[in-house]
Amino acid sequence: MTINQPNQGSDKSLEIMRNFSQSYAKRTGTYFCQDLGVTSVVIEGLAKHKDDLGAPLCPCRHYEDKEAEVKATYWNCPCVPMQERQECHCMLFLKPDNPFAGDQQEISFEQIRSETNEY
Amino acid sequence: MTAAQVTDSTFKQEVLESEVPVLVDFWAPWCGPCRMVAPVVEEISEQYDGQVKVVKVNTDDNPSIASQYGIRSIPTLMIFKGGQRVDMVVGAVPKTTLANTLEKYL
Repeated sequence: MTINQPNQGSDKSLEIMRNFSQSYAKRTGTYFCQDLGVTSVVIEGLAKHKDDLGAPLCPCRHYEDKEAEVKATYWNCPCVPMQERQECHCMLFLKPDNPFAGDQQEISFEQIRSETNEY
Repeated sequence: MTAAQVTDSTFKQEVLESEVPVLVDFWAPWCGPCRMVAPVVEEISEQYDGQVKVVKVNTDDNPSIASQYGIRSIPTLMIFKGGQRVDMVVGAVPKTTLANTLEKYL
């Protein structure tokens, strides 16, 4: 068993958010970034917010009040801009024509932690 | 030269009272595009060494300064000159975009 760093999410939440990210990419025809390090840190951030706040609030925004934002739901992943226009400024879900899009819709738990253990 | 981290308590001295224009990279640890823009910010820091000061603010650790300047989407790159915010760029932008924006204030 490994000891997670304070900023990391729990193994359980990371696995939930990893599975969500894979299935949502496949369902929407979007792809992870060429740099899976980007994908990794975002999924870790979603897992951490799920642990701390009960919902995967977008980790690429600054909020005055995170609890209030969770209740407002707009920036809970998948956020409203993603659902309506496939816009993910976090670069987790990229349309195929995005210059940063890779060809992956899957990422392993170990791949994520090998990146986020470095932070 | 690596961009120094600035905090809520050092922002006034390091940014607002700087003799040269300052590029501030507002970032957060689990923000994917922040990770992409970080090397661009480092390159800018080297290219404009002496002309521009480049610093970073972790918005999770320094919520006051992030809120004061209305930071929403991260990364946000803000340019300060003479104690005033003069411009900003949001998201993971190419180096040329950032350099062109910065050139206006040199």
